[in-house]
Amino acid sequence: MTAGKPILVLGGGIAGMTAAIEAAEAGCEVVLIEKAPYLGGRVARTHLYFPKLCPPACGLEVNFKRLRNSSRIKILTQAELVELSGSAGDYAATVKIAPRYVTSACTMCGACADLCPAQRPDEFNYGLSKTKAAYLPFAMAFPDTYVIDRPSCKEACTACADACKYGAVDLSQTERRETLQVAAVVAATGWAPYDAARIDGLGYGRFKNVITNAIMERLAAPNGPTGGKIVRPSDGKAPREVVFVQCAGSRDENHLPYCSTVCCAASLKQAAYVRAQHPDSKVAIFYIDVRTSGRLEDFYASVAADPNIGLIKGKVAKVEEDAATGDLVVRAEDVLHGKQIALHADLVVLATGIVPQTQGLPAGFTVDDYGFVGNGKAGLYPAGCARRPEEVSASVEDATGAALRAFQCVVRSAHHG
Amino acid sequence: MNAQLIQPDVSFIREVRAAGGSDLKKCFQCATCSVVCDLSPDDAPFPRKQMIAAQWGLKDQLLCDPAIWLCHNCGSCTTQCPRGARPGDVMAALRQLAIRNFAFPGFMGRLVANPKALPVLFLVPALVLLAIILWVPKGPATPELEFANLFPVVAVEALFFTVSTLAAIAFLVGVIRYLKALRMCCPGILLNFPPVSAEIVTHERFAQCNTNQGVRWGHFLVLWGFLGLASVGTTIGIGTMAGILRTPLPWGSALKILANVCAAGVLTGAVILIRERTVNQARRAASTYFDWLFLGTLTAVVFTGILLQFFRLAQVAYLMYPVYFVHLVLTLALLLYAPYSKFAHLAYRTVAMASTEPWKPKRKPRRLSEQGAKHCVDFYS
Repeated sequence: MTAGKPILVLGGGIAGMTAAIEAAEAGCEVVLIEKAPYLGGRVARTHLYFPKLCPPACGLEVNFKRLRNSSRIKILTQAELVELSGSAGDYAATVKIAPRYVTSACTMCGACADLCPAQRPDEFNYGLSKTKAAYLPFAMAFPDTYVIDRPSCKEACTACADACKYGAVDLSQTERRETLQVAAVVAATGWAPYDAARIDGLGYGRFKNVITNAIMERLAAPNGPTGGKIVRPSDGKAPREVVFVQCAGSRDENHLPYCSTVCCAASLKQAAYVRAQHPDSKVAIFYIDVRTSGRLEDFYASVAADPNIGLIKGKVAKVEEDAATGDLVVRAEDVLHGKQIALHADLVVLATGIVPQTQGLPAGFTVDDYGFVGNGKAGLYPAGCARRPEEVSASVEDATGAALRAFQCVVRSAHHG
Repeated sequence: MNAQLIQPDVSFIREVRAAGGSDLKKCFQCATCSVVCDLSPDDAPFPRKQMIAAQWGLKDQLLCDPAIWLCHNCGSCTTQCPRGARPGDVMAALRQLAIRNFAFPGFMGRLVANPKALPVLFLVPALVLLAIILWVPKGPATPELEFANLFPVVAVEALFFTVSTLAAIAFLVGVIRYLKALRMCCPGILLNFPPVSAEIVTHERFAQCNTNQGVRWGHFLVLWGFLGLASVGTTIGIGTMAGILRTPLPWGSALKILANVCAAGVLTGAVILIRERTVNQARRAASTYFDWLFLGTLTAVVFTGILLQFFRLAQVAYLMYPVYFVHLVLTLALLLYAPYSKFAHLAYRTVAMASTEPWKPKRKPRRLSEQGAKHCVDFYS
């Protein structure tokens, strides 16, 4: 069946892609809009999944293929919802689409980037590296075309357009708006890592060798800024002693009052990255509680069995730096022994939590005190980390559920409309 | 196994919460507090352990725990607590309960801690002083207006010696009870008194503490000004009783100058401390009746003392005598309730500091590579 208006999915991360694909494969029309120039969101920036320690690339590839093969999904990247009106089964959504300046004629030859004279910080790598202003977001980016970051360009420069043999660069593109008639909206706007610089005492932003778990993913990823080498940002040396700081912001009413749920398993996973890459390294993980529920308990046990990974109960409240060497000292109380502990570290990884990205959502959605979006008006459904902090597999299941609810809305409106 | 039978005292938990530690139960033992505290010793960190002991109602363990007195109440733990459990307030409540617990006689401890008893606290000295005005025969009136015309010197001195002796006995019994609870032999503590006294002289712990230095110097001025005033008062008391001195002392006398300098010091210090507790949002929230009773009485004693000196010099009878009466009521209250009010921290904190090791800088960081990460426990040996 193909009756009814489309579903609008906000966000092209793992939850949004899943909602779009599941709804489309059930026979529904879908418009998927994504703020960034590529799909995949945070998952695309992750090195390995826990607990299997397998790369997300295969899952992403399957999803991209399903998207490409579906005739029912319209994808708009660099697009944002600016207005939503109407009611269940009959919403009018106005979408603002920024120009990509590269058309589908792009063959990803890279000639534009080769000749581009300007650079931009690479947000895909959390600013750890730079790309040209004409760039491909990442190797397996979908849509598979280059992007021109026009604000980063040198004035009146047309080097990319001149370089493109296929005429795929169109610098005359402008922002456009589109109004879509949709039956239901799925908000899968995702999350961002908590800004660790706001946590006094842990030194992020002041000490080079204090990084976040999000940055650790990029350091460990082969397509990351270091080619997959886990090294200290200050001197590029391999860290021998790595300390993970759990609940860096989470479960703290001065920062994020809720548990972000994934950081414990993420740090265990990253401890395994460090140990696999640097066999002579030692790791300590400071925690309040190790929250690895359900099947993750086995993962916890397997990582903790490594004699060179120590778990210490106690929240780190202070990190100090030796400015000359860039080495760090981590201070905590070892709660199980009742003594203060001061530990030397070459690299400190802050397990920063999940901040829902729900600020710009239309008024029909309800947002709780913490910023997570709940069920809104009929026809508006949340999914993924915008709804609650959750791991990838839960996010996928969540998105499938949201797709079903949105689909019900389409069917109802087709019958009654 | 070093097993210990936990015997929770539920009423004690209620008392801690009522005395200012109302958010106690929010603590989830992350130990941020112990780390942000600069006074927390490496081998016996506080206040994380005190928080769980208080949640469990371990009264006996807590009231003889020197750590509650080692805390100088800077409030860093409260500010940085991720749960809003306000450990600093809990420590202050525990100090208050310790003073109440060791009080002799016990009912006085409860009376001074009870806001409802406030009128009684000041009525008692007021009635005693009224009785002196009414029934103690006065000497011949002096040509100038003098305080002796209201209260005969002998009666006032006798009253203050009696009250001071009572307070001293109460302090002594309280401290002995505390020492017994500490189960420490006195000689060990006595040996520690010289270094502890040196710390108190300079307020060294305050300097190590995160406390803003305003509190350090406010407390410094109040303590030394008060001790100065107490010595001058005692000297004049003994001097007049022995017939060597006669009040009012002449302007140029060393005692007079010292007393005025000390009074100015206490008042300045008290204003700093009051300002800190009112302007600073966090400290205002942390301030209890128990704090204000002591700080307020002390400030009022010194303030009325300075005022009445001016009124006497101006020879204004209708201001001079009533202010003198109020001043004596406040001073009597300050002394009489000293062993039960926050004043008593003078004794208990000194003993607690003497019963523990002197403050040491934090230990040097250890390396994971020195031992297997699994053996972090070896770091402490």
